[in-house]
Amino acid sequence: MLDSFFYKEKGLFLQNLHPLAALVYLGTLLSLALLFTNPLYLAGLLCLVFLAVWSVDGLPAWEGYLKMGLTMMVLVMLVNPLMVRAGETIIWYGPRVPVLGRLNISLEAVYYGAAMSVRLLDVISVFCLYNLMVHPDKALNLFSRLAWRSTMVISLATRMFPSMVRELANIREVQQMRGVNFQQGKFGEKVKKHASLINILLLSSLEDSLEIAESMQARAFGSGPRTCYSRSLFRPRDALCLAGSALALGAGIWGLLHGFGVYTYYPRLGYLLQGPGTVLVLAAVLLGLSIPVVLSWGWRHWPYLKSKI
Amino acid sequence: MRGRKLIFPLALAAILVLLILSIQGRNIVARQGWGMLSVEIMVIALALCYWGFEQGRVSSREVALIAVLGAVAAVGRVPFAALPNIQPVTFMVIISGFVFGSRAGFMTGSTAALVSNFFLGQGPWTPWQMFAWGLAGVTAGLIRMVFPRTGTAGMTVFCIIWGYLYGWIMNLWFWTAFVQPLNWQSFAATYAASFWFDTFHAAGNAAFYLFFGASFKKILARFRRKLEVNFIESIE
Repeated sequence: MLDSFFYKEKGLFLQNLHPLAALVYLGTLLSLALLFTNPLYLAGLLCLVFLAVWSVDGLPAWEGYLKMGLTMMVLVMLVNPLMVRAGETIIWYGPRVPVLGRLNISLEAVYYGAAMSVRLLDVISVFCLYNLMVHPDKALNLFSRLAWRSTMVISLATRMFPSMVRELANIREVQQMRGVNFQQGKFGEKVKKHASLINILLLSSLEDSLEIAESMQARAFGSGPRTCYSRSLFRPRDALCLAGSALALGAGIWGLLHGFGVYTYYPRLGYLLQGPGTVLVLAAVLLGLSIPVVLSWGWRHWPYLKSKI
Repeated sequence: MRGRKLIFPLALAAILVLLILSIQGRNIVARQGWGMLSVEIMVIALALCYWGFEQGRVSSREVALIAVLGAVAAVGRVPFAALPNIQPVTFMVIISGFVFGSRAGFMTGSTAALVSNFFLGQGPWTPWQMFAWGLAGVTAGLIRMVFPRTGTAGMTVFCIIWGYLYGWIMNLWFWTAFVQPLNWQSFAATYAASFWFDTFHAAGNAAFYLFFGASFKKILARFRRKLEVNFIESIE
């Protein structure tokens, strides 16, 4: 199962964006999700991320993320109402608890918990989108000019991970042939058996690391200034997506500075819509962010557009 | 060259300015909320750590060795995925940091977090894991520098402490981004919610160190000796 990357190359539009455009788009989504507090804005972002995930055929993967995020979402929805005393509209007077005082549940805290679990879902979905959209090597390639030593370490380790998982399975099989039963025994024994696998893996792969080092040396690693080569093209589609992200980020920050996109939860809930500005800013943000999704749709169904971008 | 020396104090100053502005209240830094601010500070700190690694001279052997250590630690998450929160990553990062020093320890920890998440799924937790495990490696390196003779008992306690610290660093993000108002009550509640997970993690770390600390350390120490190459200048 772990033999393959989380990322799957499907030749989709969003997957062949320039890594810079893809990362800026995802970064914009992430920052806006963390900056906005208005539930309308958070819900709007969620819809958009959902559409983007859908356009990379990622709904099954997103389902897995949803299951992972669910416990954290429940925690957010529990911790907030139980612990926060800042709300004024009490909907339930609870019993006294020794350390924490009286457990009063306020409407504001329930509302805040719900809005924040939407934010959490936003953030998790953005990362799900990242996994489906950006090939790790392409993202690393972007950083190789800035920090080639670290990038070298990370890409080497990324390359070794699948082969090590395979080797771990081999070691396990060998151990089983020798009569080690991994299912048998108490908890401590099981941990011991599994850890001995890691021990063997460490020993054999450290030996390999010396060979890798020699082959790097033979290919003139570190013998002079490093050159860099990038295969990613910068096409009109990338410019469009970058412009969309810039529009969304600009509109979002302008809105935040003028009080749109933020929402007062405590001590009393504020108004969801503060005049037409709230809707306009939200529309601008969503318009900017939807450009890649719309282009992706067009790329599939509109050959003329495909030929132009 | 002078500009390079300034980066470290400048980045520290930037973090401090962000923190001070956030306490002051009505300004652009405080208004963006702690959810964003904590991520910004984390990214600056991580960039600083990586920058530190970029500055040093690294031989091909070191690059390959650190990559292997990071990958083995990352793979270590796989066979233990079925056991709740028990995984050898923290323990392996600590041993690598202890044997090979702070810089290698940081790289091992952060690489393990990043690489394993390429396969298990990147998430908002990635930078925090990179930072937490990286820091575990750094502190293990420092321990060796300050107390080179730390024995099994001391290191086991150190592993237990990191079991909790790791969970606490991870909680910080959850607390700042999704709980409001940020006060002692909500802080205590968030940390109490994770207590059992952290305890499992700490107990696992201790058990790993007690059973395998010595043998892992021996393997790594042997490879450290292989790394140290002395060129004899001229033999005639």
